[in-house]
Amino acid sequence: MRFPPDPDDPEHPAPGVRPFLQQGMSSAGPYRPPPHHEAADAPTPGDQTTALRPFVITSGRVDGPDPEIGMETQVTVHPGAAPARLPPEKRAIVALCVEPLSVAEISARLKMHLGVTRILVGDLRAAGQLDVHVLDNDFPDPETILRVIRGLRAIP
Amino acid sequence: MDFEPSLDRIVGTARVPDEATTTPPVPVKIIVAGGFGVGKTTTVGAISEISPLTTEAEMTLESVGVDNPGAVSSKTTTTIAMDFGCVTIDRTLKLYLFGTPGQSRFAFMWDDLIRGALGALVVVDTNRIDDCYPAVDYFERAGLPFVVGINTFNGQLGYQLDEVRWALAVREDVPVLAFDARFRGSVRDALLVVLDQALDRAINLNSQ
Repeated sequence: MRFPPDPDDPEHPAPGVRPFLQQGMSSAGPYRPPPHHEAADAPTPGDQTTALRPFVITSGRVDGPDPEIGMETQVTVHPGAAPARLPPEKRAIVALCVEPLSVAEISARLKMHLGVTRILVGDLRAAGQLDVHVLDNDFPDPETILRVIRGLRAIP
Repeated sequence: MDFEPSLDRIVGTARVPDEATTTPPVPVKIIVAGGFGVGKTTTVGAISEISPLTTEAEMTLESVGVDNPGAVSSKTTTTIAMDFGCVTIDRTLKLYLFGTPGQSRFAFMWDDLIRGALGALVVVDTNRIDDCYPAVDYFERAGLPFVVGINTFNGQLGYQLDEVRWALAVREDVPVLAFDARFRGSVRDALLVVLDQALDRAINLNSQ
């Protein structure tokens, strides 16, 4: 006599068992980061800087950050910001910005994706933790450019 | 004896920053563009006061010259590494240099990147001149002042500048120059030409 297959036996899954349980423990285990591929000169799509998926850090937001916040935009701690309980990524940003820092530098120092950094900086600005120094004019005026020229000429 | 509060002694973020640290410098930026391996990072590193940092960013790519699979959107995003460095002009002004790859076959969306940029230096390797076409095309269309800088890897330029200009088919008013990405003075001079173009544009904008 043949017995019907045991639904708990991973070798003979019952038809009704959900797919992710059918492979035994290997597929239902805890999250494991994907294996890291070394020696990729040109980063391939999907490469991540952090173990967490970026949208986890940004609370699910994947839309574009505030266009006002550029890579070179300077960020400082807002003086007298109310103490707040912040997630580690945001706490790290606030800790870095005791001295003026550009968004790109924050991203590089925390090894955090630039897009994620821009979203988090925007959040912290809205929460009153950071001052984001947005420039008034889109293009620098001639006087500023002349100062850059003089500054560069002074480089030996 | 000079006393400078050292950052090591600051615990947490409860410190009230003084006036000097709360007024950040005005940032200006120049884009250093070109294909892979033409010497963008070397260019940035030659003049930057910090060793070049790397950040990763999403770029929206619009595939060009590739078979379009029909209804599927032709736009994809890819993660690219960007190198950057900076030069402090004075306490209130800081120049940032961003090195960005321009893959051939792709026209890329740099709108975010060039926002507020003074201009661009397109680094060219005469052995692979095609690599810089996307960048040249993009800056021309965007109206950003740019300069073509031919990186003379071993101090020698295999071609006349006119020949390179002809091959690139850039406008008459776009400077084409040779420089050596390894030397600070050479990079500085190339950037000064970019700034010259930027100054012309700024004066034109102001007088309008």
